[in-house]
Amino acid sequence: MTVTEQHAATSASSSAHSRRWLSFLKHQRTTENITGWLFVAPSVILIFIFGIFPIGYAAYMSIHTWRIRQGAILCDSEPVDFIALVRSCLSNYESAVLGDWGGAALFALGLVGLFVAYIVWTRLFSKRHENVYAVLRIVAGLLVMAVGITLISEGYNTMTGALRPRDQAFLKGLQITIYYAFGSIPLQLALGLVLAYVLYHRVKAKAFFRTIFFLPYVTPTVAAAVVFGTVFSGRDTSPMNQLVQLFGGDVQRWLAEPRPFLNVAFGWNLEGFIAGPSMALVVVIILGIWTYTGYNAVIFMAGLGNIPGDLYEAARVDGATDWNIFRHITLPLLSPVTFYLSVLGFIGTFTAFNTLFVMRTPTNAGTLDTSALVIFDTFRAQNRWAEATAQAIVLMLLVLAMTQIQRSLLEKRVFYG
Amino acid sequence: MFPFLWMISNSLMTLGETQVRRLLPESPQFYNYIEAWEEAQFSRYFLNSCIIVGITIAGLLVVSILSAYAFGRIKFRGRNVVFTLLLITLMIPESVTLIPNYLMVAGRIFPLPAIGTDAGIFSWSYDNSWIDTYAALTIPFMGSAFSIFLLRQFFVGIPNELWDAARIDGAGHFRFLIQIVLPISRAPIMTVTLLTFIASWNSFLWPLIVTNSDRLRPITVGLYNFSDEAGTRTQLLMAGALITIAPILVLYFLTQKTFTEGIATTGLKG
Repeated sequence: MTVTEQHAATSASSSAHSRRWLSFLKHQRTTENITGWLFVAPSVILIFIFGIFPIGYAAYMSIHTWRIRQGAILCDSEPVDFIALVRSCLSNYESAVLGDWGGAALFALGLVGLFVAYIVWTRLFSKRHENVYAVLRIVAGLLVMAVGITLISEGYNTMTGALRPRDQAFLKGLQITIYYAFGSIPLQLALGLVLAYVLYHRVKAKAFFRTIFFLPYVTPTVAAAVVFGTVFSGRDTSPMNQLVQLFGGDVQRWLAEPRPFLNVAFGWNLEGFIAGPSMALVVVIILGIWTYTGYNAVIFMAGLGNIPGDLYEAARVDGATDWNIFRHITLPLLSPVTFYLSVLGFIGTFTAFNTLFVMRTPTNAGTLDTSALVIFDTFRAQNRWAEATAQAIVLMLLVLAMTQIQRSLLEKRVFYG
Repeated sequence: MFPFLWMISNSLMTLGETQVRRLLPESPQFYNYIEAWEEAQFSRYFLNSCIIVGITIAGLLVVSILSAYAFGRIKFRGRNVVFTLLLITLMIPESVTLIPNYLMVAGRIFPLPAIGTDAGIFSWSYDNSWIDTYAALTIPFMGSAFSIFLLRQFFVGIPNELWDAARIDGAGHFRFLIQIVLPISRAPIMTVTLLTFIASWNSFLWPLIVTNSDRLRPITVGLYNFSDEAGTRTQLLMAGALITIAPILVLYFLTQKTFTEGIATTGLKG
């Protein structure tokens, strides 16, 4: 109740006028409620039907057998105990995504280990004066990290080992997604920041470049993928091969090259996760960087514009160098922008579809199949709808968890002016 | 920038020129565009894209402006809860909602009105499927939490004095919205329109799933199909790519000031 209403309520008994006023206010509030709901109804209904309800329905599908038509629910009708019931309900997740619960638990434990190592590490940097403890912490941190990595790889192997070959695609897809994310996001951010910083003080150039920078971002991704596919095609007349030959290099197969990039470039023969992305995926990463660097630069420029000028002047008076100013003023004050862009980048790479779909060919042998593409295949090519929704839900949980982790890890370091 | 220039220059070359090492064509072959257009059957795809984008934008603007206004300026019960719920959808990957949405527009979860067929919108039945209709391609995109959020940010900032003045003149929310708010909100509405245009023109996965034939498919699918057919004829493929990009480029250069400023300022608040 607002002050006027209370006032109206207390004096209501004394005069008919106040009573009318009170009923007017009530009437007014009901009208506001009705108009408000009428105004939002169309979009709330639409978003509920096509945005929120499907999440629940996907969960519903994922605990059934469902190949084009709905089948039986998977939950055990006569469970031994509660855990058996839950496990039977989630058997799609077990058979199509995770493989083995024990392996998945090991994997998760490994991630927790890495997190602990991180905490030990940051603590270490905050108390530099205690030398003995510092060394101890380094050792402890490294140990925990080593254990974490072992657990992760052990868990990953158990998980894939328990899966049938066609079901291993999703976990492999996650690995490819991680290459894609970590290959493109840091470079996009760094290049974007450098471009923004260099161009920020040149006012005339800024407007021009702002227009140019957005071009890749607004270009339809399918068209960009087609053009990149031609520029990086394996023919020896393709622009990239001409460029390589100009510098005396050998003709490369680029997008048609399923071998790991590190193998092609340096001849290293690495196995497992550290083998790195395939040459074809590197081309996709380059396309990703091309698309988002300019966008990031423009957002960074807007961020730079929000930094008050007197800070720079004060620092100059104190005799700070350009690097010092960049390191201790610009970078911390830009951290909210960096945070926002990196979250956007993670969501973008984990859900990217168009470019990868257009650029994948039999020649790059599934090395472009990120989780999003695997889900599409499970749905469209194999018609295993329940498994596809289970995979999609795991992907969604991962994206949500990662944005949350990024938030909690970076929150302390992000400096909100 | 290089891919753009290379695309333009190559789209003007002869077949022979694309295969030898050349950066610029001897004489521009504008005929490539016509050839690509005809061979890829772009007339149909292009028209489809225009229709899809047009309907989506029209629907989205009406729906989003109304609710953004309400979320920003009308105090109604449950407002904040609903708004937060809408924002959550921004974080959900498309792959989760894809399959249930497919089932839904196929009429397999609940009865649908027969939009796009002869029976009209009053015939609700499980037999009505939206597969291969414009309804399936446009209606799911009309409710957009992002557009609502973007517009709301602007509507919240409109001074209350304007509303008070309008109310004294006897205007209700709807008249205030139409006569006062809309004229001063050109810039954010333009930004939303452009972003929707780009997203809608770019759509690829969803149209591929909810259409069975090429009859209603948009230009992105057309270009994807053409990239197989064109094979080594790079000049035609690049001409096709340019045709796909052209509408966005034209629109972008016409409105780039509103657009870049819109993103640069709203992107930060997102």
